[in-house]
Amino acid sequence: MYSRGPVIVMELPETLNHAEGEKFISELQPLLEVHRPRIVLDCSQIQHMDSAGIETLLYCMQEAMKRDGDLKLAAVSPASATIMELMRVDRIFEVYETAEQAARSFQAVPTHEVPQDLPWYSSGFRLAELKIAS
Amino acid sequence: MGLGAIVVVGAELESIGSTAPQESAPLIVEPLACIEVLGRSMLQRTIERFARARVEVISVLVPLEKAYTVPPISTSFENVSIQVVAEMNPAVTQKLRDFSRDGVEHAFVMSASLYTETDLLDLFYFHREARQTATRALDSESPLSLWVVETDKANAQLEDLLAPGTASYFIRDYVIHLKEARDLRRLVGDSLRGRCAMRPSGAELKPGIWVDEGAEIHRRARVVAPAYVGREAKVMEDTLITRCSNIERGCCIDYGTVIEDSSVLANTHIGIWLDVCHAVANGNKLMNLTRDVTLEIADRSVMRTNASAREESRVNSFDFYEAQAVNSDLNNAVGQKIEPRTPKAWQFGAN
Repeated sequence: MYSRGPVIVMELPETLNHAEGEKFISELQPLLEVHRPRIVLDCSQIQHMDSAGIETLLYCMQEAMKRDGDLKLAAVSPASATIMELMRVDRIFEVYETAEQAARSFQAVPTHEVPQDLPWYSSGFRLAELKIAS
Repeated sequence: MGLGAIVVVGAELESIGSTAPQESAPLIVEPLACIEVLGRSMLQRTIERFARARVEVISVLVPLEKAYTVPPISTSFENVSIQVVAEMNPAVTQKLRDFSRDGVEHAFVMSASLYTETDLLDLFYFHREARQTATRALDSESPLSLWVVETDKANAQLEDLLAPGTASYFIRDYVIHLKEARDLRRLVGDSLRGRCAMRPSGAELKPGIWVDEGAEIHRRARVVAPAYVGREAKVMEDTLITRCSNIERGCCIDYGTVIEDSSVLANTHIGIWLDVCHAVANGNKLMNLTRDVTLEIADRSVMRTNASAREESRVNSFDFYEAQAVNSDLNNAVGQKIEPRTPKAWQFGAN
């Protein structure tokens, strides 16, 4: 695991199944429990992934989204891409060729244009107040 | 030395005077140039480009039979006039003569459905050096509906004036001609991926995610870059907007729906738990671009027009163009210049 500024890049294990997924989540959990976590999961080492692995990815994304953050994938192998496509989750993630590109994509917008302490969908961005549906 | 521009909406300039062909059950009734794409219509962008190129007077010509489909056009640029005309050829010729009489020596003649990023002033200088009556732009595929014309030669028939044999100006920059809904998708994809200089309205709140003023995005909705959410659009809980999709002004994407590689045109409501892929949605019509099929959906809970906003716009449009049409007829009779209604303020976006 290494960090590039505020973006955390984490390598996924060779096998991403139920057991490995839980282990991975326990490692990642503290990093997800911050305000606006920005996570890149490097998939280059993955040799085998099953539906539990997909669930792990979705869980991580959901946790990041809860805290106004985001999660992106990098270096997804063709085999993993096929599994994700079959399960129709490929469209949920932003996927980049390399972890470097994914990390850079978090910083594409100059920071002075975006208030860092507000959630991006809030009225602070001149958006109307969020209406929570009952 | 003055520069003018004539922008033709809803008519093919290849054969001026004939209106653009219409499908039997079209997805979009309005001319494509008037459809909002990433916050603004092509017509608005064209007017803005001419204004930036310091064109002194811009005249927008709309054929009478299309007038009721064209939404009101407002601009802060003061020298824009909008005219509804019965016949396009005589109207263009007359407009060129008017320009000549008013001291405007050269004029651009352009179809509003053409989007090009070429340097208009460079085209003008090329034309001036070529010393031809007219210069036509072309790209690697075909001649384009963009000319520069000497206005004092407008006594000739327009067909002769714009005929082949005029000087040609080759455009290497990005060009797209909006002929069908598929072209809208191409333009949106190219813009969101940064392949062309056109930028969406609003602000880029996250890298690749453009959100316009008044948009509401539920915190449990997921918007995957690149994507655009237009003015006062609502994206509800558990929705997914992904793969270069654009949600235009006043749209509502209801709970759990996925919009993938699709354009949802202004004031469209998409119901709950739907999967809209590779499509263009407009009101209760959906065009699937993979199968090239347009469906009209009767069930209002699935897809519908957001009626209130749409009707208001339509009513304004009717008032406006009926007045214009009457003016047009009267002015044609006495040969006077048509005065456009006072334009409302037009906010320029990020472009």
